[in-house]
Amino acid sequence: MDRRTFLRAASSLVVVGLAGAAPAQEPDVYRIGAILSMSGATPHYGTVMSRGALVAVDEINAAGGIDGRKLELVIEDHKSGSTQAAVAGMNRLINVVKTPAVLSSFSGPTVAIAPISKEKQVFVLNGGGVSLKMIGVSPYMFHNRSLATDLAAAAVRRAKDRGFKRIAQIAGRSEFGDSVIAASQEVAKKLGMEVVATEQFAADATNIDTQVAKLRAAKPDVVLNWPTTPQAGLVVKRVREIGMEQPIISMEWTNEDTKLAGVASSNGVEVATDYFAPAADNPMGQRFYDEYKKRYGEEPDFYAANYYEAVQVIATLIRRTKAKGGDFWTGARLTEALWEDPAFDSVYGGKMTFQKNGVALKRVAILKVDEGALKLERFLPAQAD
Amino acid sequence: MDYVYHVLVMVCLYAILAISFNVVIGLAGLFALSHAAFYAIGAYTTAILTTQYGVPVLPALVCGIVLTGVIGAIAALPALRIGGHYLVVVTLALQIIVIDVLRNAQGLTGGPDGISGIPRLTLFGQTLSTPGSFLVLAAAVAAFVYLITHMLAFSPFGRALRAMREDELAAQSIGKNVVALKLIAFAFSAASAAIAGSLLAHYITFVSPQSFSIDETILVLAMIILGGTGNLFGAAAGAAILVALPELLKLMALPVGTADLLRNAFYGLMLILILRFRPEGIFPERYRYRLPESAKRAAGVLEVDAWTRPVRGEVTLAGNDLHKNFGGIVAANGVDLELRSGIVTGLIGPNGAGKTTAFNLLTGFLTPTAGRVSMRGLPLADRRPHRIVRSSIARSFQDLRLFKRMTVLENVLTAFPDQLGDRLWNVFLRPFAVRAQDHANMARALEVLDFVGLRDRAEQSADNLSYAEEKLLVIARLLATDAEVLLLDEPLSGLDPTTLDQVLPIVRRLAEQGRTICLIEHNLDVIREVCDVTAYLDGGKVLAFGKPEELMRDPKLVERYIQ
Amino acid sequence: MDLILQLLANGVSNGSQYALLGIGFGLIFGTTGIVHFAYGPVLAASAYVMWWLAASLGLPFPVALVLGVAFAGIAGVVAYLVLYEPLLARGSPSFVVLVASLGLFILVSNMMAVLFGTDAKTLSDISYGIYVLGDVVITGVQLVQIAVFVIIAVGLAIFLRTSAWGNAIRAVTDNVAMARIIGIDTRKVAIVVFALGSMISAIGAANILVRDGASTHIGFFAVFYAFISVVVGGVGSVWGAAIGGLLLGLVESAGMWKLPTEWQSTIAFMVLFVVMLWRPTGLLRGN
Repeated sequence: MDRRTFLRAASSLVVVGLAGAAPAQEPDVYRIGAILSMSGATPHYGTVMSRGALVAVDEINAAGGIDGRKLELVIEDHKSGSTQAAVAGMNRLINVVKTPAVLSSFSGPTVAIAPISKEKQVFVLNGGGVSLKMIGVSPYMFHNRSLATDLAAAAVRRAKDRGFKRIAQIAGRSEFGDSVIAASQEVAKKLGMEVVATEQFAADATNIDTQVAKLRAAKPDVVLNWPTTPQAGLVVKRVREIGMEQPIISMEWTNEDTKLAGVASSNGVEVATDYFAPAADNPMGQRFYDEYKKRYGEEPDFYAANYYEAVQVIATLIRRTKAKGGDFWTGARLTEALWEDPAFDSVYGGKMTFQKNGVALKRVAILKVDEGALKLERFLPAQAD
Repeated sequence: MDYVYHVLVMVCLYAILAISFNVVIGLAGLFALSHAAFYAIGAYTTAILTTQYGVPVLPALVCGIVLTGVIGAIAALPALRIGGHYLVVVTLALQIIVIDVLRNAQGLTGGPDGISGIPRLTLFGQTLSTPGSFLVLAAAVAAFVYLITHMLAFSPFGRALRAMREDELAAQSIGKNVVALKLIAFAFSAASAAIAGSLLAHYITFVSPQSFSIDETILVLAMIILGGTGNLFGAAAGAAILVALPELLKLMALPVGTADLLRNAFYGLMLILILRFRPEGIFPERYRYRLPESAKRAAGVLEVDAWTRPVRGEVTLAGNDLHKNFGGIVAANGVDLELRSGIVTGLIGPNGAGKTTAFNLLTGFLTPTAGRVSMRGLPLADRRPHRIVRSSIARSFQDLRLFKRMTVLENVLTAFPDQLGDRLWNVFLRPFAVRAQDHANMARALEVLDFVGLRDRAEQSADNLSYAEEKLLVIARLLATDAEVLLLDEPLSGLDPTTLDQVLPIVRRLAEQGRTICLIEHNLDVIREVCDVTAYLDGGKVLAFGKPEELMRDPKLVERYIQ
Repeated sequence: MDLILQLLANGVSNGSQYALLGIGFGLIFGTTGIVHFAYGPVLAASAYVMWWLAASLGLPFPVALVLGVAFAGIAGVVAYLVLYEPLLARGSPSFVVLVASLGLFILVSNMMAVLFGTDAKTLSDISYGIYVLGDVVITGVQLVQIAVFVIIAVGLAIFLRTSAWGNAIRAVTDNVAMARIIGIDTRKVAIVVFALGSMISAIGAANILVRDGASTHIGFFAVFYAFISVVVGGVGSVWGAAIGGLLLGLVESAGMWKLPTEWQSTIAFMVLFVVMLWRPTGLLRGN
């Protein structure tokens, strides 16, 4: 190929791209975008999140869609956190797919697309990222995952309730780990507890021997285990291996963690989290659980649940705006509809309510791992700090 | 169509990265893996200075460029001194450390959360908040970087880089400081990456460590390989293709859950296939550019006789009692050798006698274990080869070491001493003076080629020469250094009688001008014809020294040598 | 005091793993001069193969281990024959070979995620002991890690010293041109070192699988640590890679005694810079 042919080919591609279709007012299909971690260092998040969302989409479509029109999920990949990839995906969703509603995940990508969300009035619902940086960056951005800081506060209160005084904490070096450590330190201070060790490790590390050895040397009463899956499991495995018998309170626990830690080591680990488990008084959760397990042969974790829930929220919003008529399929209208009644059915049971800062408030559950299964100990009331 | 504009903005940013990385990878032939780290440093410097210190955009950009260049140079220095694969592992470690520091130096970099709220750029009172408006700036900057890098690539500096890539020892032998060349190329490349980083920061208005992983470096590398190693346009085209490709791949119907994994796998596969079947890339390196007519017209006849040293027979380069041990092996065991101006000295001796070692010791390619080398009585101790050339001593190699992927003319052109354009700042600050001098040098190079009978071949690749022509080119390259002392390692072996008749007079004429010539040779007839004196080396020392006929009458030597 | 002892113990055990990986990588790199980045995906793939054989097909772990090691050996040789050799034969510069191995890295790690899923692979039915020595706790895996490293390092050193193949490998490592002149078939030597080196990586893979479980990305850090171990210790000798790996493990662990642990990898890789400034050709081969 010589230079000229190449340039000609390239410019014709651009022309093709520019000649996209004009926006339609009433869509044949409601396309919902999702910017997830489909490849890169942690593709498993993308796998479960997309599955959760797909279960919801299919369930809604099977029930006739929204007045006969179907939902469709269009997935973009942010390659485990690349902001450039997220922005590219966001632009593609807005311009090519022409969707006004996008599910996002991970804090970095979510912050990165916030300016576009604000400028183009795109409704964004994040069910994975937990950083405080995502608060207040776009009026069209919402979060149906409890903030990590709220969960951390709950975990520390739980430790206090059980009478512990010396706490040691371990976290990954991520926006998640950082915000959690800051929050728990503050709560511990308020409750008069002593933080005797704070250890962090590289976000993708599998070797955390050094950190765990330092935890043990600090001789704490309790270990607060902040990492997300799968390192939460890895920490428990190492802590038990090195002979520490102290109680452990985690913030996240999925099947992956039980697998990594082993069933025996996992026994007795407490988890302070957005609780997702099917129950008789929670038909939405039960429905989701059954369908997910049938399809994928494994139990859904709370990430899958959050994205199932997110799609349900968007479907509810579309129904609300459609009822009012006009140019209803826009981010601004969806946002407006959300504020009309910020309480939604939660897949966790009961209602969740979006607060002024855009974060849904859910009750926090204290669970206990028992032979690989999560058993509910008690609920802590939803509490905004 | 913000989407298309966004894709084009990314094409511009990656084009900047690919073009600048190509200076290191393609031109200098250095293999590094830290380009994303420099991209990151540029982005973060801008982000920190503009958000935390309120520095205006332009000074912040300049700081980013300078800082990145300096960090690049310092980090790579230890590896550049050694060369080879060490640079790969050091730059890989640098990449990891930089991302680690961005994650951990919370106060400065915002930690894993990154830095948000980076101000948007304004151009002529217009805020560049949409991809479309930003594209104008991005394209302009990409064009600017292309232009600057093009100037570098086609300057004497760029030529020296390519010569170094082709053969590091030969580049040293014609006076190029290879460590400095590598360092400047590396710093230039890093600094250009910082420009892309800074643009990215202002475009997305948010930076976080995850955006600058090693995968970014590999992506840029793939762009270069695909487009064409050493070809700047190719790098830009590679960027366009690899930014557009994933977008086009989205048109492929793939299973939802694994679509992006499959796309990545496809990308890896494509990389392998390109390397396997078209390793030179879509646009192979162009080095056979046309010779300017003005240079052709200006070329006259080489005025060799104008170069005449008045004194003949004066000692120039001398080695006294040179010793060299490699482990247990003694390669030089007290070599004493004095070369004189206007005299052709022949070096003979059996294989392994230490002839080439003597050359290496005299020209600084080896440091003697003991002994001393001097030029006109001044010691040359501890000088690196390129410094020795500047003392007017040049050598050729037995294995020729031509710059293969360069033209015949360029082989000669690179060897001229004291070129203005060898210094990068002259290339940018005095472009016209550099150009004028280069054209004058081209004319001179043509004269040199004419002198050895290779003028017709000037615009061809050195790859295409016959063996005899290669030998002639070696001599032409040596001549171009304009050195007073010329050491030739077997310049005549393997030549047919016709070519010999062509070369021998050249050697004699050079000596008659007053140059000091020393050559290693096995053919005794040739020695008799061309040499004034001969040194017989064996066992790492000079055993006999005298007129060729005298040495050849010594039955003991003849016996040893014939055996 | 118990902390530093524990950290030293951890450092030796992790260092043994790095050293083991370094020996395999260094054998290939030192002998053929190929920076075999695909060492990483070969390692990861063999971990997946072992997991698949043991967890899905229910084979006993030792059998899965042997088959996994064999698989790695074959995969390594195939990588050499299909990817590297044709490139080297046409005289491609070494960085082209290196980029090709990066391409293979991308291809394999993504395809593994496609074929085996993105979740972590663990073997639930393997248990190992935990031993308490005073204040120091050591797990069975850690001991195995150290033992395996020592056995393989010594075994390889003996092999290289005494066997005909070993001599040929050492000759090629020393000087390829000379080895060719004295009639050594360098192609066969390359095949042997790719097989051996890859098999060693598979043993490292087994350690990772049992200890932490396997994921598609274990390859990158494995090859990276292996590479650094070799460069720090010195290219071209078993003991160089071994010392480099142990040093890396110890610095990464004991170096954190009084330092915040998040700086772990930064500190560890600073060692590389220091060594390169102080002894550019590695600890063992410094001149």
